[in-house]
Parts: sequence; structure tokens; C-alpha cells
Amino acid sequence: MNQPPSSISRRDFLSKTVAGAGAGLVLGAPNILRAANADGADTIKVALVGMGKQGRVLFEAMSNIPGLYFQAVCDIWEYNRQGGVAKVRALQDHTPKGYTDIDEMLATEKGLDAVIVATPDFWHSPHTVKCLEAGLNVYCEKMMSNSIDGARAMVKAMEKSGKLCQIGHQRRSNPRYRFVLDHLINGEKICGQIVNINGQWNRAVSSSQDIAFNPKLTIKPEILEKYGFKDMKQFMNWRTYRDLSGGPISDLGAHQIDIFNWFLGAKPKSVFASGGRDFFKEREHFDNVMAIFDYDTAQGGVRAFYQVLTTTSAGGGYWESFMGTEGNIKMSEQSAYTSLFREDSAKSWDSLVERGFLKKKAAPPRPEATSGAIASYESKPPEGFELPGDLPPIRLRSGGTAPKPPHQPHLENFFAAVRGKAKLNCDAREAFESEAPIYYVNPSALSHQPIVFTPEQLAV
Amino acid sequence: MSTETETEACCSTPCCVPRNLALTYGALLLRFWLAVRAIQTGIEKYAGSVGSDQLVKIDGVANTQGLTSTDSAKEYALSHYHGVPAALLKKFEAEPLMSSHTVLGIHIDPLKIYDVILGPTLLVLGLTILLGIANRTSLFLLGLLYISLTWGLILIKQDDGVAWLGVHMILIVMALMLADHNRFAICKKW
Repeated sequence: MNQPPSSISRRDFLSKTVAGAGAGLVLGAPNILRAANADGADTIKVALVGMGKQGRVLFEAMSNIPGLYFQAVCDIWEYNRQGGVAKVRALQDHTPKGYTDIDEMLATEKGLDAVIVATPDFWHSPHTVKCLEAGLNVYCEKMMSNSIDGARAMVKAMEKSGKLCQIGHQRRSNPRYRFVLDHLINGEKICGQIVNINGQWNRAVSSSQDIAFNPKLTIKPEILEKYGFKDMKQFMNWRTYRDLSGGPISDLGAHQIDIFNWFLGAKPKSVFASGGRDFFKEREHFDNVMAIFDYDTAQGGVRAFYQVLTTTSAGGGYWESFMGTEGNIKMSEQSAYTSLFREDSAKSWDSLVERGFLKKKAAPPRPEATSGAIASYESKPPEGFELPGDLPPIRLRSGGTAPKPPHQPHLENFFAAVRGKAKLNCDAREAFESEAPIYYVNPSALSHQPIVFTPEQLAV
Repeated sequence: MSTETETEACCSTPCCVPRNLALTYGALLLRFWLAVRAIQTGIEKYAGSVGSDQLVKIDGVANTQGLTSTDSAKEYALSHYHGVPAALLKKFEAEPLMSSHTVLGIHIDPLKIYDVILGPTLLVLGLTILLGIANRTSLFLLGLLYISLTWGLILIKQDDGVAWLGVHMILIVMALMLADHNRFAICKKW
């Protein structure tokens, strides 16, 4: 990890600008000041591979992390590539070299430490394996691959190279999720026996439309063909094609089914799924998928239901709900969707509130009591709680604050691991063990048959 | 009707009190509105929030997962200065017309320069308009400043903001049209 002369970290930038702001109104030029990397951390040289929508999300999150130097940008689409170069230039006053081809980038760029892979799913495995074999540490977006064999190849390449390979299941580094797992589920066991999990990502049809493109920006057909796309429409909408991606259950569901497996500390023993092209009839992938996973865990059997709908946002967005005999934890990457409830029959959580584990929510209005036969089947409404904190805010150049981007902690964990100061929260092997069952959801839905997993099916 | 005759007679005299008073009030109101708008916008460039973030404590010990509780309050300080809002700054940075370049060996970064001068300029122009110092020229300069803001918003396709600034421009033009009726000015020249 070298020290490029023009690198500047956001943290340095902020500290310097605050220090220089005393110049006041007339001289006050806080963000015109520049500083060297002052935190003593070795700069990590990074290449960005794939600067589409997700690549830009990751870049925005990384722009808040000190000690990074973005050396190269690679994307087959000139529009994305130039946009990425411009963003890097704006951040660090250095114009990175842009590449169309990752092989050329790896052959040309010297001194790279890490690569961020945010290409379409079917390129994840080839790109990650190339970079690992080139001796680079890799952060690769989830889903690991469009095929389980592609994911297996990533695990093998990571273990053979001895390099780091973090998979972008960013909730694994989210303080809220880690706090809930460590303190509330495993520590205080507030759910009692978890008997059921529900999860969903319901996305409105308006947000699930095909992505349009400006015909003037079309990629040359020979380049599209070279990189596995039959035309520009397929390039823009690769998530809807079977050979290029796993579809909604992979794009959206993988994040949350990963949490099922992580929180339970177990792999499912079977999956039974249903799916259909209910609205987007021209698409290869199902637009709506529902899946039931069965688990045998140390505490007993668990059934987990997951649905991904790309045709309606009804039902409250995206969340994972862990339902136990004593309490329920409803988690989401969105703080607003997160809530905890104590079953009326469970012991009081007041001591947990006093000790700092939870905050109590105002009690919701109780429904009018019913009488007769129905009442005997009703449960008393559960008591509501919330988490006592959130992700730490980030300081903006403006001096204000903003919520930390959800991908940032996972990227911070990756770069800390590159520096030898942390262990990866979701390396390729751990991600594979959690992702493997997801590769069987679409086959189950297509065959209308449950799939009972064999050890070989879920093994590297 | 005698009322109409009286009005005509009154307006024919140099001291047409009713009509001039209304125009003077109009000029003053517009002047004060535009001044307050510019001054407070300039002051807000120095606003920020001070947050006290601390790791959530369990049994008095900070958690190791990084769960953080935050209390924040708004405050004004030179160190909070931000000419261009952070949300827009990133969009501008990606604009090729905003990129830095070198002219005659001098490195020029228009976005950074603009970011630096915007707040102080709003404050200075707001104060000169409020106090009535070179009122017409101050209004003209404020109009130019709003045109520059409009250009930036056109670049990043913030059409609502463009329309909003258009309303401001109309108010400035109205204030200039009423400039002859302006009163209580420190320096009426220019």
C-alpha cells in the first residue's frame, strides 16, 4: 500500500477544512483547502470494475472512507466509464485511467491492492477469480454468481490465492443487525424459541420496469457480443435474463435469505417455491416468487417464508421478521421498518430497557374487546420496543451530518481486513454457505417440486 | 362623482400622496423581502448540526457492534460554512462544464470558487439592499447572482428550483421598477 502524492481522504479533508474555517467570511474557503493523508493509515489502491448503478452506490459509500485511492475504472460502457472517472476526479483531484477490458486493466495497472467488482451477476465469478489470481483482494457484490458452480469457483480461488474476498451482503456488517444477533437473539434470547421467520421485499411495479437507454449511447454490437450480451436492451436489463442473473429471488431475496441463515446459524434442509410471470409476461425470470425453507436447528424446527414481489409495494417494503415463543424481532435495513415485540406471556423486558438493550415504544391503542367465541382465540397485543441506536452518522463536507450509507460498514470491514486490522464479516466461503440454498429456489418453482438438499448440493 | 374629480385633481399635483405612498410602501416591502431572503439564505450557509454521537452502552459498557445513539442540534459557526449544499455539490462535481481547468498557467476550479463566494455575496448584497446602499446596482447584482444559480440548476435538471428562482427574478425586476419610489436609503446613487 503506497502513498500516491495526490491522494486525500475524506476524513483529512474534513479535519483540514474545519481547522481552516477560522479564516471567516472573507477568507473562508473551507473546502478549497487540501491536505495530505494525515491519519497515518496506508493508502489502499483500488480499482473499480463495473460503474453501473450498484458500482456508483458502492463508490459513494467508499468516498466516505479515509485512506483509499481510486486508481482505475473499468466498464465496457463508455457512459459509465466516463461517469466513474469524473466521480473519482471530483473526489480526489486525480484522473484515474479508464479501461473497457479487465484483462487489460490487470495487465497494465501496477500496485493495486483491491478491486471492487460490481458487474452483472454472470461476470462476478470470472472477474473475481481473475483478480484473486492476480493477487488482489476483492469485494464482490452479491449474488456471488448466476450459478452455484460460479460461486464455488470463487471460494476455491479465494482459498487458493490466500487473498481476501468479501461478498456484498452488507447487512452482515450493519451495527443494527450485529447488535440484534449478538445481544438480543444469542445473548439475551429475547425471542425464546424462534419457530418461524417471515421475510419480504415488495417492490412497486413502477420501480421494476425495464431500464431505458439513450440510443446515442448504445455500445457497439461487437463489444456487447464479446461481453455476453445480445443487445443493448439485454445489457441494460440483464437482471431479467436467466443466463445472466438469478432474477428477483437473487437480486433482492439473497440479502434477506442470507439473514435467515446467519441469524439461525443453520442451513435449510429443504426449499419449496412457487413463482410466475404474473405481470411482466415477456421476462425470462419470474416477477413474483414465494419460497418456504425448512430448518432443523439446535433449538428446534423453524419454517421460513420469503416472498419477493416486483409488482406491488403493498405490505410494507422489505424486512425480515424473526418470530419466537417470547418475542418477535422485525429487522430491516430501513430503521423505520424495524420493531420488536414482547409476547404478553413472556417475562418483562423492563430490565433489558434499564440495562440499555432496548428502548420502549409508546403502547399502541388497544382494539376494542371482542366477546364470545372469537375472544377466546385472540392474543393480547404485544408490547412494543425499538433498538437503542442506529448506524453512526457521517459528517458531510457541509458540516452537517447524514445517515451512514448502508454499504459503508461492510466496505469499511473489507478495507480494515486488507490492512490486517479486522476479519472479514462475509468472506466467499461464508457467503457461499448462506447463498447455496438460494440457487435452488428457481428450480423448485419451475418444477413445482420441493427440493430436499443433499450435503453435496450445498457444498463447495 | 366628486370623488373621481378629487382624485384626478390630487394626481395632477406634485405631492400626490395616496399613489406615491402606495408605491413607496411597495418598494420598501419588496426591498425588505429580497434583503431578508438573501441575508437569511447567506446565514444558513453557516448553519450545521452538532451531534453528540456515542456508542450505545450495555450495562455501562459501550457495545462492540458499533450501534450508535445520536443527539443533534442546529448551530451557526464559521466552520459549518458550505456555499453549495452537499447534495447538489456531488451532482455539480460530475458536470463537465463545472470541471477545473488551467488558464494562462492558473488553475481555476469554478465550482470551488463559487462555493466560497456564494454565502458572503448573499450576505453583502442582502445588507446593501436592506440598508439602501446603491439600491439599483445591488438589486442588479443580486439578479445576476440568481441567474448564475439558475444556470447551475439547469445543468443538474432541477426544474423546480429554476422556476423558483424565476419568481425571485420577477420580484427583483419589480423592485427595480419601483426604485424611484424607494425611501430610507443610505446611498441613493447607483
